[in-house]
Amino acid sequence: MDSIIKQKITEDLLPQPFGKKGKIWLAVLTALCIVGLVAYIRQLSNGLVVTSMRDYVSWGIYISNFVFFVAISLVGSLITAVLRLTNVHWSTPLTRIAEIIAVAAITFAAIIIVVDMGRPERFYNLFIHGRLQSPIIWDVIVITTYFFVSLLLLYIPLLPDFKILLKFKEKTGAKLNKLYRFLGSFWKNTPDQIKISERSIGILSITIIPIAFSIHTVTSWLFATTYRPGWDSTNFGAYFISGAFLVGAGGVVVAMYVFRQSYKLEKYITESHFDKMGKLLVMLALLYLYFNINEFLVPAFKMKKPEEEHLTGLFTGEFAPLFWFAVLTAMVIPIVILLFKSGRKPLPAFIAGILVVIGSWFKRYLIVTPTLLHPFLPMRDVPANYRHYFPSWEEWAIAIGSLAGAMLIITLFARFFPIIPIQETLTETEEHEKA
Amino acid sequence: MKKHKYIFAVLLILFSISNTSVAQGSKIDPIVNLAYFNNNNHDQHILVNTKAKINDHFQQLAGIKVAVYITAQDPVNLVGKGETGEEGELIIFFPPGIKAEWMKAAKQNFIAVTEPSKEYNAATGTLDITKARIKIDTAEDKKIIAVVEELKDSVWTPIKNVDVKLAIKRLGGDLSVDEPPQYTTDSSGTISADFKRDSLPGDNKGNLVLVAKVEDNDIYGNLSIEKTVPWGNKFTYVYAYDKRTLFARRGRSPLWLDIMAYSIIIISWGVLLYLIFQLFKIKRLGKNSP
Repeated sequence: MDSIIKQKITEDLLPQPFGKKGKIWLAVLTALCIVGLVAYIRQLSNGLVVTSMRDYVSWGIYISNFVFFVAISLVGSLITAVLRLTNVHWSTPLTRIAEIIAVAAITFAAIIIVVDMGRPERFYNLFIHGRLQSPIIWDVIVITTYFFVSLLLLYIPLLPDFKILLKFKEKTGAKLNKLYRFLGSFWKNTPDQIKISERSIGILSITIIPIAFSIHTVTSWLFATTYRPGWDSTNFGAYFISGAFLVGAGGVVVAMYVFRQSYKLEKYITESHFDKMGKLLVMLALLYLYFNINEFLVPAFKMKKPEEEHLTGLFTGEFAPLFWFAVLTAMVIPIVILLFKSGRKPLPAFIAGILVVIGSWFKRYLIVTPTLLHPFLPMRDVPANYRHYFPSWEEWAIAIGSLAGAMLIITLFARFFPIIPIQETLTETEEHEKA
Repeated sequence: MKKHKYIFAVLLILFSISNTSVAQGSKIDPIVNLAYFNNNNHDQHILVNTKAKINDHFQQLAGIKVAVYITAQDPVNLVGKGETGEEGELIIFFPPGIKAEWMKAAKQNFIAVTEPSKEYNAATGTLDITKARIKIDTAEDKKIIAVVEELKDSVWTPIKNVDVKLAIKRLGGDLSVDEPPQYTTDSSGTISADFKRDSLPGDNKGNLVLVAKVEDNDIYGNLSIEKTVPWGNKFTYVYAYDKRTLFARRGRSPLWLDIMAYSIIIISWGVLLYLIFQLFKIKRLGKNSP
């Protein structure tokens, strides 16, 4: 390959300092994280009473957020593993975006579960006294495993890029150079290293799929193993996984657009990528819609009394505006937008991605909370605020802070590391030219 | 004619205003019902129920303050007071202080008075009861005999034609001892029934609790009496604490679950450790390469 082209590609893909917009974005995220932290300190000192969670709604937006994070983290396995194993090469520029989303999301999934605990300093008891029979323990195990697998899947493909980054000390700066040296100075691009790295990535791609499926299936089992309206379903594992792939893909589309615009990556994240991801989103949205119909139609057809209260609450009752908003934004409108070729252009696809992500967040809330407000035994002799749930400002601040935290990880990663794999892009361009 | 029209319109407006103010100012009259309970011939209480017809439907009234008196509405005759719960009910047990008044006569009168509030007017409910008791005994061949008596001129006299339920106390309610759910007392105030519920699980000694009840009787109220009989099967508690089950304590999970879970953990973390080892190998290769 022409060395000028090589140089151009490398320079294009080097991490770039924040511009004005980037700095504002960073400041906003940091501020949100700080507000979230302040709220959490208040929760730590005063206890969970600062939240609106009471006897009935004991899982509020923290757990909704947890399910959302676990869901979005699944995209790492979809883009990196599934597409890699099926020899889909167009997804190469998107793999690192998907992986950092996965790592950031799973990190905050773990954090938010600790936030939901009344006495987080007793967290270690879960490991010391945990019962293997409990799906909560399965979740702890599988989240920890998935975190490390995702971290390795992010790190190993980065190794060849460190060698390139080390050559651009002047552009990246001395401090970052030190970091690259620490993380990957040992990479010399020898055939043996490449062979081991490729084999490791192959093994990881295979390993991550069952682990990713387990993580969200186990999360769904936290609900489905209890006998409650809205949760008592044999369909929940598949329902959760399909939803997870949808929100993950939506998140990648959003990140693709943002990085493309911010770092001028139009040559690497092309309209064709949006077109293909758009098609993938439509397929995933249709799949999730199918599972939703399955999940609601069957109990609605039977209308057992406890299910009836839950379902009418969702369809026409207290939660109806949110329910239909979630269905429209997470599935119906994105399908309509992305079905058309013009809808799969970067901006409309980005809007569809945003809708999917927002709708999916509320969908998780609707999976978690309404069920808790419909216990089998009637609520009697309880204060009025036990019968409804609206998160307190502390809960909002912590939940938004955690979302900002995940985005902060992604933002900082893109500042310090190439968000599109440089070496892989060079290799693929070379192969393309040869062909 | 035009003038009349204006007068009519003004009158109509005035009427509607006055009507609205009446509607806004009118308060609801609660209905107060009382019921007398005598359990085992010594636990006595009055159950007060408050309800009202609101929008053509009867609704139980919660939070109504009620005072219950015996014989007359006088502070010295106060049985007790309290506030109705969510179901519009209030239970008031007989305090020792009313014993003298209670012993005065065989027939007693209770008065419940509700306090007026912003929404409700004051209301009164009364209850007349005749003192009665119920006795239960058993005979050979698991025969159950119950006698209902009333107090007449300081003498306990049998009462005929009273409906009595004979049952066994179970967790979810009462189970009748035989096919008929209730029996009527004869001229000697007696009913008898055969126990036909063999093989019923009892406590760890095989004991069952028989109960005879008079319910919602207009004259005598609600009477009940219990008797423990060894006619059930002995209940043997199965100690499952140390068994390997899904609901057991930590470390007693079923073997199949242990095998499955630990296999998955070992394989996954085995792969991860292998990959970390590969990373070290890459590092070593890099250090050794020029």
